[in-house]
Amino acid sequence: MILKSTHRLRGVGVLGMNRRNAEYIMRSNPRAFFPLVDDKLKTKQLAEAHQIPTPPLYHVVDHHGDIPALEKKLDGYHDFVIKPARGAGGSGIVLFTEHTEGGFVKQNGEVVPMKDLAYHISDILSGVYSLEGLEDRAFIEALVHPDPVFDEVTYRGVPDIRIIVYRGVPAMSMVRLPTRVSDGKANLHRGAIGVGIDMAEGTTLAGVHRSGVVTHHPDTNKPVTGIPVPHWERMLLIAAKAVDMTGLDYLGVDLVIDRERGPLLLELNARPGLQIQIANQAGLLRRLELIDQAPADVFATVERRVAWTLDTFSTHALR
Amino acid sequence: MKRPAVLLAVALLVLSFALISYRILWLKYPIFPAAPAKVWQLSMDASIKGGEKETAVMIGVPSTQKGQLVIEEHFHPGTLSFNLLREGPNQIGVWSGAISPKGELIGYSSTIQVQPQRLLKTLPPRLGPYPKNIGETERKLAMRLVEKWDPLPPTERLRRIAAAVNGFWGAPLPNAQDLGAWSAFQDTHGRVTASLVLLRAAGFPAQAVEGLPLAESVTSSTVTWIEVWTGQEWESLQPEKGEIYQKPFPFLPLTTGGLPVVRTLHGELSEVRWTLNREIINQWRMRFDRIMRSNRWLDRWSLFRLPEEFQKTFRILILVPIGALMICLLRNIVGLPTFGVFLPVLLALAFRNTGLTYGLGIFWGVVLIGYVVRRWIEKLRLLLVPRLSVILTLVILCITVLALLGNKFGLREFMAVGLLPFVILTMTIERFFVIIEEVGPREGFWTAAGSAGVAVVTYGILEIEPLQLTFFVYPELLLTVAAVQVLLGRYTGYRLLELFRFRGFWRS
Repeated sequence: MILKSTHRLRGVGVLGMNRRNAEYIMRSNPRAFFPLVDDKLKTKQLAEAHQIPTPPLYHVVDHHGDIPALEKKLDGYHDFVIKPARGAGGSGIVLFTEHTEGGFVKQNGEVVPMKDLAYHISDILSGVYSLEGLEDRAFIEALVHPDPVFDEVTYRGVPDIRIIVYRGVPAMSMVRLPTRVSDGKANLHRGAIGVGIDMAEGTTLAGVHRSGVVTHHPDTNKPVTGIPVPHWERMLLIAAKAVDMTGLDYLGVDLVIDRERGPLLLELNARPGLQIQIANQAGLLRRLELIDQAPADVFATVERRVAWTLDTFSTHALR
Repeated sequence: MKRPAVLLAVALLVLSFALISYRILWLKYPIFPAAPAKVWQLSMDASIKGGEKETAVMIGVPSTQKGQLVIEEHFHPGTLSFNLLREGPNQIGVWSGAISPKGELIGYSSTIQVQPQRLLKTLPPRLGPYPKNIGETERKLAMRLVEKWDPLPPTERLRRIAAAVNGFWGAPLPNAQDLGAWSAFQDTHGRVTASLVLLRAAGFPAQAVEGLPLAESVTSSTVTWIEVWTGQEWESLQPEKGEIYQKPFPFLPLTTGGLPVVRTLHGELSEVRWTLNREIINQWRMRFDRIMRSNRWLDRWSLFRLPEEFQKTFRILILVPIGALMICLLRNIVGLPTFGVFLPVLLALAFRNTGLTYGLGIFWGVVLIGYVVRRWIEKLRLLLVPRLSVILTLVILCITVLALLGNKFGLREFMAVGLLPFVILTMTIERFFVIIEEVGPREGFWTAAGSAGVAVVTYGILEIEPLQLTFFVYPELLLTVAAVQVLLGRYTGYRLLELFRFRGFWRS
């Protein structure tokens, strides 16, 4: 039973945690480059230097002493997002959609007074949300107004698109849709839905919610399949390009689609999860192996890599 | 990428096995050091009366040889000087000096483990000479007497000889003249020599052995038997009774090759008393005594050379890597989540003091109390480090209260709780809270249960005393553990729980 299921999983080319860590993350991602992706601010600066669009940065808070001055600065913004620079798995991120007399309104309607917000930033600075509990920085950036394409299958919050890129070639992707449970966040382990995307067509496939396959959004009850993702090819280009600037060869690239500005790079992840395989009903290992077998000239330019992906990784072509 | 790791693992394995083989083959370490040790306690007391000249008493004592292991031995020289000599295969204790008119008491004691013969290939012994002072006529006579049994198989011939020494010649009887000559010979030389002559004439390699019957007893005399090589194995024959014994022999040999056990020079030995007792001794003491007396290089660098109070620590410490190995297994092969990497090992160490039930109870109790308090503290908006300090104080407080309660109600386990890894408990509470807040209670409890489960398994391993002893005797087994850890580090297959996680792929 164990041998048989192992054999089946290997046959489909499912990537397991051990192999991901040993064969891909450790081999492809030199430790020295990790800070570039672990620190969202550094990623942001790097992306700007490479003409990759990201949500506009409003403020950076480095020290506890900067917090009192913040109130005045925030007065000028109607909506914004607070993030820890080194937060993992979406922890510590708060989205504010409105600014009222009593304070700031979170995307779930809760009103947060300034002193609570200051407390939250202070937590971020102390490293509560950072990967190793080290001191951290907080930053405030523009709230993304998502493209309406996923409105029907999103419960508040901002959906994002995760693209796994290996050696500069986009290999697999999914769109992550916030639910009521995930509190507007697009992280799967918080209860968001992951919906696979056909790499060639740029349309959504079935979704995964808490390890189970779903076809409809649990809160809105609208189908999640067959939605064409706008700016698909451009996003693949951004993802392929974003990887070049980091020196890491196995990355999860997270993008959002802004109503006005189009695709923006949100963050990079050096240890992207494996749940994406369930969302796509396809094994990642098989695609990574195909990339390793690709002719050398495929890797020459960003455009060629994306063209190769569009040719090779359509769900139909793989079956 | 995979090759260097495998090579390293193989190198570690080879080194570890080489050291173990060296200990087993050259230093005669037991293959299973934890096998139950039933031993014989042998002691000898005697008093010596002196002559005019300097007296010497020579007594054969058991030595480590095939089939028996002398674990410890002590000699009590009294006022005499003492030497330990080897004489052929025998070990002889020599007490010598001037004896006071009142006489002198000497003594000896040892602990002996009689091992079932190892399956070593014994070389067939050569046929030795006839016993001394046996003339040509007697040899011819003996040959004539045993001639008629030549066609029989060796064991049957041995039986006939044993019977003949006791006077039963069986049909057809030898002629009356030979029979008369032989019984005259046997009367002068005794049954032992007679048996040896007959056995030599029949072509059996044989030797006389003197020693004690292996039974709980106090005796002043030794017995003599003959060990005979029948072409396949050794059998032993007790001429006085005409009995033949198969292995294992019910005797403890003291001297072989016809050497008397007790010899005296210019003196008189009286009141010799041999005592044999059966005993089961502590495994640790048995190894300890043996290794302490050895001068071999690896023995001198053995953990048994540590002072006893530190040995206790190392008995456990040396098993901790196995605990770590278990965590590798359960995390990377099975896929169980745990808080941190080594929390379960530290918990397992703490369980040793509290016992499993109390240990688990205290772990869950403190974590849950901590969780409730942590939830409440969240409202106070404390900064990270002071907040962790508060939790730490809470943990110590819980432990203190438990200890006081334990003292009140006579529950030792509650007082032993002080050794629980409190820092780890503090971090566990924080992680537990964060996981529950961020991912949900299911994940939080699942991780806590995973940690506790791994700790229980690790505790189970740490408590296996034979394993403790084996690792203590062969610390190089740690290299084997390291080799397995290296190999596990290169395991890139699926985790067991991943089979479940991705079940949709192989079920359809």
